[in-house]
Amino acid sequence: MPQHYDDLRGFLDALDAEKQLLHIDRPVKPEPDLGAAGRAVANLGATAPALLFDNIDGFSDARVALNVHGSWANHALMLGMPKTSSIKEQFVELGERWLKFPVRAERRERAPWQEITIEQDINLFELLPVFRLNPGDGGPYLDKAAVVTRDSADRDNFGKQNVGIYRLQVKGPDHLGIQSAPPHDFGRHIVSADQLHHGMPIAIAIGNDPILTLAAGTPLEYDQSEYEMAGAWRGGAPYPIVRAPYTGLDVPWGSEIVLEGEVHYADREYEGPFGEFTGNYSGGRALPVVTVKRVHMRRNPIFEHLYLGQSWTEIDYLLALNTSVPMHRQLKAEFPEVEAVNAMYTHGLVTIISTRVRHGGFGRVVALRALTTPHGIGYSKIVIVVDETVDPFNLEQVMWALSVKVNPEFDAITIPRMYEMALDPSGYPQGVTARLILDATTPRSPDRRGEFSQPVTAYPESADWEKIFREMTR
Amino acid sequence: MTCPRCRSTEVSTVAHSPVAGRWTMSSCSVCWYAWRSTEPAAAIDPDAYPAEFRLTIDDISTAPRLV
Repeated sequence: MPQHYDDLRGFLDALDAEKQLLHIDRPVKPEPDLGAAGRAVANLGATAPALLFDNIDGFSDARVALNVHGSWANHALMLGMPKTSSIKEQFVELGERWLKFPVRAERRERAPWQEITIEQDINLFELLPVFRLNPGDGGPYLDKAAVVTRDSADRDNFGKQNVGIYRLQVKGPDHLGIQSAPPHDFGRHIVSADQLHHGMPIAIAIGNDPILTLAAGTPLEYDQSEYEMAGAWRGGAPYPIVRAPYTGLDVPWGSEIVLEGEVHYADREYEGPFGEFTGNYSGGRALPVVTVKRVHMRRNPIFEHLYLGQSWTEIDYLLALNTSVPMHRQLKAEFPEVEAVNAMYTHGLVTIISTRVRHGGFGRVVALRALTTPHGIGYSKIVIVVDETVDPFNLEQVMWALSVKVNPEFDAITIPRMYEMALDPSGYPQGVTARLILDATTPRSPDRRGEFSQPVTAYPESADWEKIFREMTR
Repeated sequence: MTCPRCRSTEVSTVAHSPVAGRWTMSSCSVCWYAWRSTEPAAAIDPDAYPAEFRLTIDDISTAPRLV
């Protein structure tokens, strides 16, 4: 079974041992230092470390972790793989572990976050080192917490209990706003609670092991449990959960901090803007409201946060392969020829698919199916299809395919006036866009065209040499 | 005290730094902007607040719902 971690601390120790964690003990101000550092570390690229700050102005014992998922090296270590593992190796590994789903969660009675509980005079601004991430944000946010809710119409259904990452604006001492749209599971839960004319219990778990966060950011089906997926991605090791005392919701055993409270019935209030994963601010919207009733935490808890802005930032690693793998599974169910899917550019606004080609025109058939997958409906604005010999995670290879396989007269297909998620700033109006398919597969019969009969192929021994070189340079 | 973003006066000091005297947090109960006393002027001074992020009562009352 691969190495896995029950809590954030355990993973930070592992990152430290692999020289993928920087301790920042110099004094920092919540603003602008923490947000500025989050942007800066993202600029270091595919081997960027996580950051742990422990000397934050105005706090005696606060700690802030940033960029925990923020490189392919850290992503590989999360999976218990060597930190030099390629993106495609990590994609294949996640896909194979998915086959173990569901792995029943392990219920425990006690949790480290039960050490401290606050019920009166809750003040999140004083309890947690919350900070403004980007200059135009409407306030401090919780942007990497696992938000747990149940379907009010089916409260005992464990699978419908949702664990998702939704941004939460800290508006007042015990007062939060939360963003979600109708297609999200949380969006369905709030609609369900409103229809029953009551508020909705909510638990917000901050500072978790990295696999739970990955599962919480994955577009699973409505009744699929993120905890049972986390177990699969831990290689079959059951995920430990504990019932939160005030709401009865199941939260991670290993969380640093757990907030419990209630989403107000039918209440919507101004929220935002927030600098989003598109590299643009979200604008302000009328969104649901949360009152926090309990705060549970470990002593000296680690407040985990995520920087996001113009790609690439940590969120692009966090929403990369967990978006690509389910789309691959959905495509492969109908088209076994599909080799791999790269849906990691701005959460899949650009999607690259590699496939064997069954017949002429097959590439665009696969692309059209991608547009109708649950994630593709909202995100796959530009779909590039390449042959199976091209690694869709290797952009040099993809650009080669675009360069020589695409004849724009035949291979650039536009579909007008399609739905998309509302945060894409190019939508016109917001939430509406054309879709573009670029079919960069080699034309086949009966769509005969071009001069593709003499590709350069290497000596077969080249593959052995590549293995040797990879081992020598690991 | 005035909200730097919407210029409402319905604002209050809502938190004090756990290490005394380092900063205070304020919050506006009209547009829900929150700010720390130690932030750059563009975040806390109504006259220095960036024009593109300022809000009117109309902006707040007509903000679209998502769900």
